[in-house]
Amino acid sequence: MEPVNQPRTDDSADSAFVGLLTECQLPLRLYVRALLPGDPAAGDVIQQANAKIWEKRGDFEPGTHFKAWAMAIARFEVLNHRKRQARDARLHFSDELEETVATELAQVTDDLAERQAALRECMQALKPASRELLMRRYATQQPLAEFASQLGRSVGGVKVTLHRLRTALAECIERRLLATGETE
Amino acid sequence: MTPDEQTTLFDALLDGDINEADFLRLEAELSVDAEVRKAYYRRLEMDLLLEELAAEEVHRLPPLAEPLLQRTSKRGLWWAGLLAAIAAGLVLFVTMFAGPADQLADQNDRPQVAQTIQKNEPSATGFGVLSGQSDAVWEGEAIENGGLLPQGELHLVSGLVHVELFSGVQMVIRGEAMFSIDSPMQVSMRKGSARAHVPEPAHGFRLKTGAGEVIDLGTEFTVDVDETRSSVKVVDGEVELRTREAETRRLRDGEGVELAADGTLAKESAEDIALIGPAAFQDVLAERQSDQFRRWQLATQLLRNDPRLMAHYLVDPTQGWSRTLVNRASAASRVNGTAIAGDGAVVAATRTQDRWGRDGGALDFSRMGSRVRVVVPGEHRGLTLMCWVKINSLDRWYNSLFLTDGHEDREPHWQLMNDGRMFFSVKPPDIDHLSPAERERQVFYSPPFWETSMSGQWIMLATVYDVDQKLVTHYVNGAPISRESIPETFLVESIKIGAASICNWSEPMYRSDATFVVRNLNGCVDEFALFSGALLHEEISNLYHAGNPNER
Repeated sequence: MEPVNQPRTDDSADSAFVGLLTECQLPLRLYVRALLPGDPAAGDVIQQANAKIWEKRGDFEPGTHFKAWAMAIARFEVLNHRKRQARDARLHFSDELEETVATELAQVTDDLAERQAALRECMQALKPASRELLMRRYATQQPLAEFASQLGRSVGGVKVTLHRLRTALAECIERRLLATGETE
Repeated sequence: MTPDEQTTLFDALLDGDINEADFLRLEAELSVDAEVRKAYYRRLEMDLLLEELAAEEVHRLPPLAEPLLQRTSKRGLWWAGLLAAIAAGLVLFVTMFAGPADQLADQNDRPQVAQTIQKNEPSATGFGVLSGQSDAVWEGEAIENGGLLPQGELHLVSGLVHVELFSGVQMVIRGEAMFSIDSPMQVSMRKGSARAHVPEPAHGFRLKTGAGEVIDLGTEFTVDVDETRSSVKVVDGEVELRTREAETRRLRDGEGVELAADGTLAKESAEDIALIGPAAFQDVLAERQSDQFRRWQLATQLLRNDPRLMAHYLVDPTQGWSRTLVNRASAASRVNGTAIAGDGAVVAATRTQDRWGRDGGALDFSRMGSRVRVVVPGEHRGLTLMCWVKINSLDRWYNSLFLTDGHEDREPHWQLMNDGRMFFSVKPPDIDHLSPAERERQVFYSPPFWETSMSGQWIMLATVYDVDQKLVTHYVNGAPISRESIPETFLVESIKIGAASICNWSEPMYRSDATFVVRNLNGCVDEFALFSGALLHEEISNLYHAGNPNER
């Protein structure tokens, strides 16, 4: 029998780990996407990162900064992905900038739940047609040009509309967060 | 850079639509200015949240159908109609694909599949479940046994149903009935007969009619309501009756009254209302089910000799200690003497009640590590997988049904996504040179069919990989929910399986398959079958009807 290198993890430790990893999903996605903006393979890399994090769960010391640890693994997966993609090299940020992003995102305090609630409310304030356009856009990973032609609209037109809607939503979210912050 | 310029560049970046000069400009800003980075994170975060929202909402949007509809062939329309019928029965989200109906016919454009996204708060609405029904006909969508009763007025046109409210109140209601479940402690009834059994924790339960309300003080009473009158009779215990005139009176065992529609007392007694109680009703249903059970056992016997059946695993409730699942398929009468699968080895999974209510007749895979190990020999031109499953929740990204060890060329993987879609793939050889997005086309997803409200219900899932027709079809409860053609480059004419696991994944090979590895199904299975080759629609439908414990 081969000796098992990894420290034994029992079911309860595993489920605690699953809990940490689940909580960390949005920050992790944010991080990988921040490093691979506009890359449709970002989803694959996030899954690879998750698999790797799970594989290495025995190395994690409970009580230490899980998010930072997980992001370090994710960063490694991003670099691996780039290596594999070398031939169709996409633009990517400098190492210094990527490290800064990692440090900053690991420290970001998590108000995603509030933002999500605010976003839902702000969506309701949009015109139904605008809401529909946004939902359709975000439900697919099609290139913008393909998406626009499906709608029978010009790429430039769709781009401008989406930009305006996103900006309006972003402002609305900030206003709402400010308002709820004051009443509390 | 003005703020607007900045956000325009962020959007271009996130849309994968930025030129090099702009990229470098943005990178320079991001490198030196923490505020710009913060703005970038915010924009990105909103993108992610919008994606999540879109994954929830997109099913509700009407399909982008106009240009496609004009091209829809007759065949496509026929399918759309069929799908609408399935949707009516199973409450599926078909709007997603009912419009561009020709996606289901031979078309190589695969519908774009939304990225898998974890929903934050699984929820379902309703105050009670439908525990049984006998010849029930509902106005509008049928309600499945074990299904949640929706809010609002329900119209039972005819038949008998057993309703369990979350307060513990049990009611048998006979059609024609119009009623609504206002809360676990209150039901309004406009028309119909009902018998309510109210356990102690639910004392105070109210049944409202046009003429007044009955407040149960324990334990069982009947009502009969129509447009002109309401009558109440106590079977056992005591109730308080409040008429619309604000008069209050108490009724005890055997006592009853009849009220006129305006709430005035019409009669100091009430006729017996011939309606069986919830317990007796369940006995009747059980008897009916046992007939169905015998039919299923017979069908199972007949299935043994199907030359395509490679593996058929049932959990024998009389062999509670056994960690072996006997393959029921018969090796005799095999074409060219092909070997069939061996017996399955149960690992970690515990015994639980099966869909027929027998203790120990199903395996519960919710404990981490649970699986059944099997070995399926041979090479197969096409494949049909079927199982009866009761899902507690889809809390993993991938929830296994049947996965070969690793994920080598020509091997199948069958699982459920956490957004309720079925996933099936056979890995084609020689596709490593393709981009990840291209490789993703080996996966055939159904539309989302499972939602939280179906938790705990037994359902039959099946997927058929048909090499000759180049089609993958997913089925829920014997009815097809999606059909998609297999692109030529991804068609695998000879499928191999070898060592595999039911409801989990073994030896995940990180290098070649980069997906998350906690994959045991949070749920139970009491039957699993694997056929070499493609079963026909009718055959899948027959398997369902023979094995459905609630077949009417």
